[in-house]
Amino acid sequence: MAEDLVLDTAIRDWVLIPLSVVMVLIGVLRYFVSKLMRTSQLPDAKIIKEGQVIIRARNLRAAANFIPAKAFRARRLYYTNEDNGLLHVPKGQAQNPQAQMFSDPNMAMDMMKKNLSMIIPQTLTFAWVNFFFSGFVAAKIPFPLTQRFRSMLQNGIDLSTVDVSYVSSRSWYFLNLFGLRGLFSLILGEENATDDTQRMMQMSGFGFDPSKSLGAEKDGLDIVQHDWVLPKFEERAEAVLRKRLS
Amino acid sequence: MKKSPSIDPHSSLLRVRQSPPCFKNLTVVLRPQLPRQRSSRSQLKVAEISNLKIKMVSKTEESQLQQLENQVENRGGGAWEYLSLVRKLKLRRSDKVLKHGLTILNDPKKRSALGPDEWTLYEQVAIAALDCQCLEVAKDCIKVLQKKFPDSKRVGRLEAMLLEAKGSWAEAEKAYSSLLEDNPLDQVISMRRVAMAKAQGDILGAIEWLNKYLEIFMADHDAWRELAEIYVSLQMYKQAAFCYEELILAQPMIPLYHLAYADVIYTIGGLENLQTAKKYYASTIELTGGKNTRALFGICLCTSAIAQLTKGRNNEDKEISGLAAAALEKDYKQSSSSKLSLLSSTLRSLKIQ
Repeated sequence: MAEDLVLDTAIRDWVLIPLSVVMVLIGVLRYFVSKLMRTSQLPDAKIIKEGQVIIRARNLRAAANFIPAKAFRARRLYYTNEDNGLLHVPKGQAQNPQAQMFSDPNMAMDMMKKNLSMIIPQTLTFAWVNFFFSGFVAAKIPFPLTQRFRSMLQNGIDLSTVDVSYVSSRSWYFLNLFGLRGLFSLILGEENATDDTQRMMQMSGFGFDPSKSLGAEKDGLDIVQHDWVLPKFEERAEAVLRKRLS
Repeated sequence: MKKSPSIDPHSSLLRVRQSPPCFKNLTVVLRPQLPRQRSSRSQLKVAEISNLKIKMVSKTEESQLQQLENQVENRGGGAWEYLSLVRKLKLRRSDKVLKHGLTILNDPKKRSALGPDEWTLYEQVAIAALDCQCLEVAKDCIKVLQKKFPDSKRVGRLEAMLLEAKGSWAEAEKAYSSLLEDNPLDQVISMRRVAMAKAQGDILGAIEWLNKYLEIFMADHDAWRELAEIYVSLQMYKQAAFCYEELILAQPMIPLYHLAYADVIYTIGGLENLQTAKKYYASTIELTGGKNTRALFGICLCTSAIAQLTKGRNNEDKEISGLAAAALEKDYKQSSSSKLSLLSSTLRSLKIQ
């Protein structure tokens, strides 16, 4: 372990640099392909309306004390009554997103396109790297690291005696895969970055259920105590005027 | 005077008033609704320009805008930055946008330096030109855009707006409807329809469109404000009060909404409403630091009206009205002492002093 491994410069020229360049090129290509495949999705009126209802109900809850009690009660009834209140979701009608997905083939199609544009290039490049460059020690980082980094930096090399600061080619691939985001946002513009992590977030956020938040908002409204603040304002206005006059 | 349609450049705004682009006070913000500004622009009918234009423009952005505007006006460059800022803040500076945008567009070197933003600029200038009734300029801009994006809905919208600006209502209506068919949730087009109905004098139609719009986009407070103002103009105060309540809920700390709400419920009348109105005038005073003349007068009027209704039987304290009257006197002394006698006679007739 004490003696240094000498890395051939040919490894730099034929493994390290090509790998990085290919990763960048694939990222750019993927961006344009996904742009081609993207369909402009028309938002659904119902979903928009539900979002807006939630905003409005939230406003009501937050600023309830600023309107007279009568106005507040009328609004609360309008939102929460059991017959046709805006926030009331009839039982059984609450669609779960899975069912919604199956009922709407477009949605599934979109998901698939998104997934495909992400997974296919990744599998291909991974296979390519594995096939050509497996087992290479491609680079050495100029500072020592603890053993815990071994799995991150020396993926594909099963030698426990190699110093951790050596980076295997497969690990270099992974580092590029996750580390190039900043570069992409530079090349492709801020919001256009092929942002894998963000996409993952979107995917996990797909299970968002508007009817659930409607219900939560309804419960929130039900327990709001109306306490009109305007009488207090009157006193404060008097104080303000006194201060101005003095 | 011929009614000329005004085209509003920005989606989040629902301005349909015939306000000329040279109107200065567009950015700002919370000031009392005192003097109504009139403009000398002849071709536009300047019926009502309320200063009630509330925009969420922060102080820093405002000063930045002012600085850029001065710089651009004095040929210091930075026109593109100015235009971008105007676009970002969604301001209505159509005359300036038209002037400076055209200088960029007419200079091929500057224009191509923009890259893809060139088309954004074309759109911005086209809308500004429509607003200024420079229909030829607008037509040219739209033609360029049409050539570049033949199937674009956005360009289609511009074309419909051009029709609207020309005053060919029926054709514009047809164009808007066909655009809406493709995308029934287009907010801008829905707003344009309201504006068009209003420009034609079809106030009830405007209300209908607005209500239809608000049924879906019910969190759009600009639309609520528009509806409130329309209802006030039709003297449908109960409906207007509802709209102002909605506005207060959305932005509870804006004194202008409190003031307008107080005005409306004072007008509806009745003891309970008068007392509520007084409270809202008081909150306006609190929120403006006692500088709002209208609110001060409102307090005095409410107190006097309540006293009349209850024939002095109520034991509500009259202290606040006395204070308001004193504040009014102070203000009048400072800024228009010649009208002081008028004020004191008014207050006397209200039995406040």
